[in-house]
Amino acid sequence: MQKTAVQPRQSVAMMQSRRRENIAGYLFMAPSLLFFLGFVVFPMVMCLVYSFTDYTMTSFSFSGFANYQRMFQDAIFGKALWNTIILVLISVPVTCFFSLWAASIISKLHDRTTSFFRCVFYLPVVTGSVAVTVISRNMNWLGDASTALGCIITILLTTSVGQPIVLYVSALNNVDQSLVEAASVDGATNLQTFWRIKWPQIMPTTLYILVITTINSFQCFALIQLLTSGGPNHATETIMYYIYYNAFKLQSYGYGSAMGIILALIIAAFSALQFKVAQTDNG
Amino acid sequence: MANFNAVHPEIKVKVQYLDYASGDDQVTTAIEAKTTPDIVMEGPERLVANWGAAGKMLDISDLWADTKDDIIAASPAVEAACKNGEGIYYEYPLCMTTHCMVINYNDFEAAGALQYLDEATHTWTTEGFLNALDALNAAGYQPTAVVYCGGQGGDQGTRALVTNLYSGQFTNADHTAYTMTSEENIKALTLLQTLVNEGKLDADPGIVAGDEIALFCNSTISIGFCWNASAAVSNKASLADDVKVFPMAFPSDDGVPELQGGIWGFGLFDNGDEAKAAAAKTFVKFVCDDPSQAAASVYASGFFPTRASLGDVYAGTDKAENGDYAIFMPFLGDYYQVTPNWAAQRTEWWNLLQRVFAGGDVAAEAAVYEANSNK
Repeated sequence: MQKTAVQPRQSVAMMQSRRRENIAGYLFMAPSLLFFLGFVVFPMVMCLVYSFTDYTMTSFSFSGFANYQRMFQDAIFGKALWNTIILVLISVPVTCFFSLWAASIISKLHDRTTSFFRCVFYLPVVTGSVAVTVISRNMNWLGDASTALGCIITILLTTSVGQPIVLYVSALNNVDQSLVEAASVDGATNLQTFWRIKWPQIMPTTLYILVITTINSFQCFALIQLLTSGGPNHATETIMYYIYYNAFKLQSYGYGSAMGIILALIIAAFSALQFKVAQTDNG
Repeated sequence: MANFNAVHPEIKVKVQYLDYASGDDQVTTAIEAKTTPDIVMEGPERLVANWGAAGKMLDISDLWADTKDDIIAASPAVEAACKNGEGIYYEYPLCMTTHCMVINYNDFEAAGALQYLDEATHTWTTEGFLNALDALNAAGYQPTAVVYCGGQGGDQGTRALVTNLYSGQFTNADHTAYTMTSEENIKALTLLQTLVNEGKLDADPGIVAGDEIALFCNSTISIGFCWNASAAVSNKASLADDVKVFPMAFPSDDGVPELQGGIWGFGLFDNGDEAKAAAAKTFVKFVCDDPSQAAASVYASGFFPTRASLGDVYAGTDKAENGDYAIFMPFLGDYYQVTPNWAAQRTEWWNLLQRVFAGGDVAAEAAVYEANSNK
């Protein structure tokens, strides 16, 4: 009887303590949560709402799925989607592979040399797209419809590899050396050591790089705006640039929002796929 | 600003400068966020045809009451461009210019091509232009010129080049439709395509007007298609030693060019505050019409007054050569930039040029341009 009288009192105290912890947790989260709700969730919801409207500088009315129907009949949107997918399919694997290759070489060098190369590869990220495009404007291939997208992808790579290389260098340095040495003692080749020991340990970094590079590639905008404006003849039109063009130049906010929603869905699908594949690899 | 505040200390004015690359976006964002400034300085294509038509601007017809005749005396086209079809004024003009082209006088002289232009009137015929290209090419001045089409920057130059060659019109008379498929314009585009194919002229989808001006200033090319009085001043320091600037009107079959105009003035956003609107009108009137300020305002712009009474604001100043460009003002052509769908048309234009110079069928490509622009 005594036992049963004490137990509820203890559990009430524990619940109160847990509630206090929860409240404290929510309070700590509140500033970030407010920003997240205000600057991410709210705009996303508004974008979804606007995508079902005929929203321009002079009109605002519900239009159902008209923007989505228009999108799939819009040849330029089709071209932009195709260009964006090509850009992602080439730039993401190349960025990841090159970064891993460069990082695996850099990480074996002397500390100072490693730092020097990290700075060199990170420089295009720090200088920003504008500086890179000022240099790239002299590339004559940007004016040729058959080579312009390739040019853009090449320039994009220079600004994309910096962060992955830095991350991979850190990840490779954090690989458990005792396992590498044990594998070596057991007669494993370098390739086997990499695939069996290092690759699983750097997988979280790889997943992060894959997702971030994919999102950045899908959202490629500054290079296009500064270098080609989507030309020549829409050869470098990307969805992000086309959204900007429709929303800001033509003031078709509703149509721009609808394209934004489709882009968000595509990015979400790609990211989910990458998470799934990476989990399987890990598993 | 100091001059204004000396007279009106009770009105505070804060100025923000917008550039051509991002200015439109900033204003569009401000309109949707309802944070527009009280005053904006722009041209009729935005003040009247875009923001005015969208109901974002105040009717400023009252500002015109005592200056309308003076402005019409300077140019009837200016007065016509500053109001909408119902006669409501959304722009109060300050200055204007005509966009022209430019040649390197030294190259033309060395190539014996000066004979093909009228040095007194700064005009030439299409035939003279073609002969000059031949002479320059024969003398080894290659590339002679570049038809830039990498974006919309400076597109007034390429539009004027095409429409003048055979006296075509960019839009219909009542500014409701673009008319690039007219016989004259097709002929002009075909001529340019042929010249590019024959190597007498270059076309570059990778550059815009700013790049072309740089090529002219560093003596790479002998002819530039994007020039005006302001460009002459701003590029003076970057001219190569062997470049002698000689502004020219665009070549036309009859030798009488129709130049593309630029009219800049003030518009007032409708922010629902009558007191601020009244203060804004006081400021605009001071800048444009105050006897102590009007000429100085125009002088600062580098262009020409939209009031006949101001005369030559550059005479006897260190910008005296700007006055030379006044020779082109009588050639001010139709101000067609107020035609609907202007923003979309601008993108269609450089894409049209890119397709034509990539070997596309001129008539078919012009039809695509026209269909997309007239939507």
